[in-house]
Amino acid sequence: MTALLETRGVWQRFGGLVANSDVSISVGRGEIVGLIGPNGAGKSTLFNLIAGVLPPTQGSIWFDGEDVTNLPAAVRCQRGVGRTFQVVKSFETMTVIDNVIVGALVRNTVMREARRKAHEVLEFTGLAPRANVLASDLVPAEKRRLEVARALATEPKLLLLDEVLTGLTPTEAQTGVALVRKVRDTGVTVLMVEHVMEIVMPLVDRAIVLDLGKVLVEGKPSDVVRDPKVIKAYLGDRHAVGA
Amino acid sequence: MMDKDFAARRRRDLIIAAVLAMIAALTPLFVKDVVVQNILILTLMYAGLSQSWNILSGYCGQISLGHALYFGLGAYTTELLFTKFGVLPWFGMLAGGVVSALIAMGLGYPFFRLRGHYFVIATIVIAEIGLLLFHNWEWAGAAMGITIPIRGDSWLKFQFMRTKLPYFYFALVLCCLAWFVTWWLEDSKWGFWWRAVKDNPEAAESLGVVVFNSKMGAAAVSAFLVAVGGSFYAQFVSYIDPESVMGFQFSLLMALPAVLGGIGTLWGPVLGAAILIPLTELTRFKFGGSGRGVDLIVYGTLIVLISLALPRGLLSLFSRSKKTGATR
Repeated sequence: MTALLETRGVWQRFGGLVANSDVSISVGRGEIVGLIGPNGAGKSTLFNLIAGVLPPTQGSIWFDGEDVTNLPAAVRCQRGVGRTFQVVKSFETMTVIDNVIVGALVRNTVMREARRKAHEVLEFTGLAPRANVLASDLVPAEKRRLEVARALATEPKLLLLDEVLTGLTPTEAQTGVALVRKVRDTGVTVLMVEHVMEIVMPLVDRAIVLDLGKVLVEGKPSDVVRDPKVIKAYLGDRHAVGA
Repeated sequence: MMDKDFAARRRRDLIIAAVLAMIAALTPLFVKDVVVQNILILTLMYAGLSQSWNILSGYCGQISLGHALYFGLGAYTTELLFTKFGVLPWFGMLAGGVVSALIAMGLGYPFFRLRGHYFVIATIVIAEIGLLLFHNWEWAGAAMGITIPIRGDSWLKFQFMRTKLPYFYFALVLCCLAWFVTWWLEDSKWGFWWRAVKDNPEAAESLGVVVFNSKMGAAAVSAFLVAVGGSFYAQFVSYIDPESVMGFQFSLLMALPAVLGGIGTLWGPVLGAAILIPLTELTRFKFGGSGRGVDLIVYGTLIVLISLALPRGLLSLFSRSKKTGATR
């Protein structure tokens, strides 16, 4: 079986800055893959390339057996790529349910069906009691949840989660982890960027470490955290020697 | 279940609108004064225009201060077709709508790449260019304008000298049409897309909304309806020149009722027009000799007060709680 998502030799340059250099990763169907790395490693750039916010300078991106390199974000969403944003981008003047309906309209053109789908997603994500609240009135953890709900309403094959667990209290983060597992159990593949290692590592099946725009290490979470190269990237040379 | 609430609310809106329309339809029975009738006609017309403006600028968030262009195009298309080719105003009205919608999309192609203030400035400039073009276009009467030939009262030619009532009813229909289109679009894919585009284009795009097409759709619907209003106005005043149908004041008079009542809301434009237009006409009437300055001072004061005290418009006074959402 082919991978659901594949990036082949992807480069992204911003002027003189190389944000991604020759990144080739693949994500298999049904996996939860963690994309980690220190600040400035190029995680967010890679995410935006996969979501179609901007085209890569070089290289190609394949999704579900199709070259999607030149497809814009809206079309990638129609193909089955759902995403959340690191800095939440709720539709602030709309209610929670209306936010989710926007996502549901991708696959349901009849309003009544889109609305039903949106309610279903709100139940699934635990936001149902807040359905008629304005998005601007949600607390930060709920806004993160709304990002996920909206993306799920597009019925994605691949869900890109951009630091959805960062900045949450430990309890909120645990609920978040449970939600990600639940999402995967419905057959959705998950690729997540995350900072908080101790939360991500038990959750993901596989971790990909980016550093300075390149893939540094890739493998099981337990192996990755012990890898001297990873420790060096995160903590510097001195600590790597002791590892 | 909340879906029932939602459906009930939409039904309630429809019923209120029907009742209001009926009351409005009966007013000529009691109001015989021509001056007052005139004010009612203009109020209904601006309510309809503002409602149409609201589709692009309120729902979709693309603030236009150049809608006078579409108003004028509607008026000119109708009258040029009538005076030069003998085409009945009803067809001219339709043609004006189509021409305006096409031009709105043609202009949208480059300008929807602009954001915020830059977009607003572009709309103002384009409308001024339109005004200048018509000022200098000999075939279209240039600065002299077009006098609509009087052929006697007739529905076919949509002109009436002895009574204002037909104009009143047409303005009412226009207002109801614009309201109904808004009501209908509000719970449609387009309505949701537009609000999403207004709030956050990047997020909208990530949810499969083609932002550019959404703006184009809103511009076309909005321009079409405004042009129909322009055609009506031309027939109503039976003489047009560039300033009197494409002047900047029309752009303002379309935007202000919606802003006053509640921008991006279903009832805002109607409420705003019901307050603003009679006020304008009355101040103009009262201070007739002292020029157009006074009504402008009234606008200015109102805008300042509203934006300070109720940035979401007068309607926000009525919203029962914050939880019911800004759209009601």
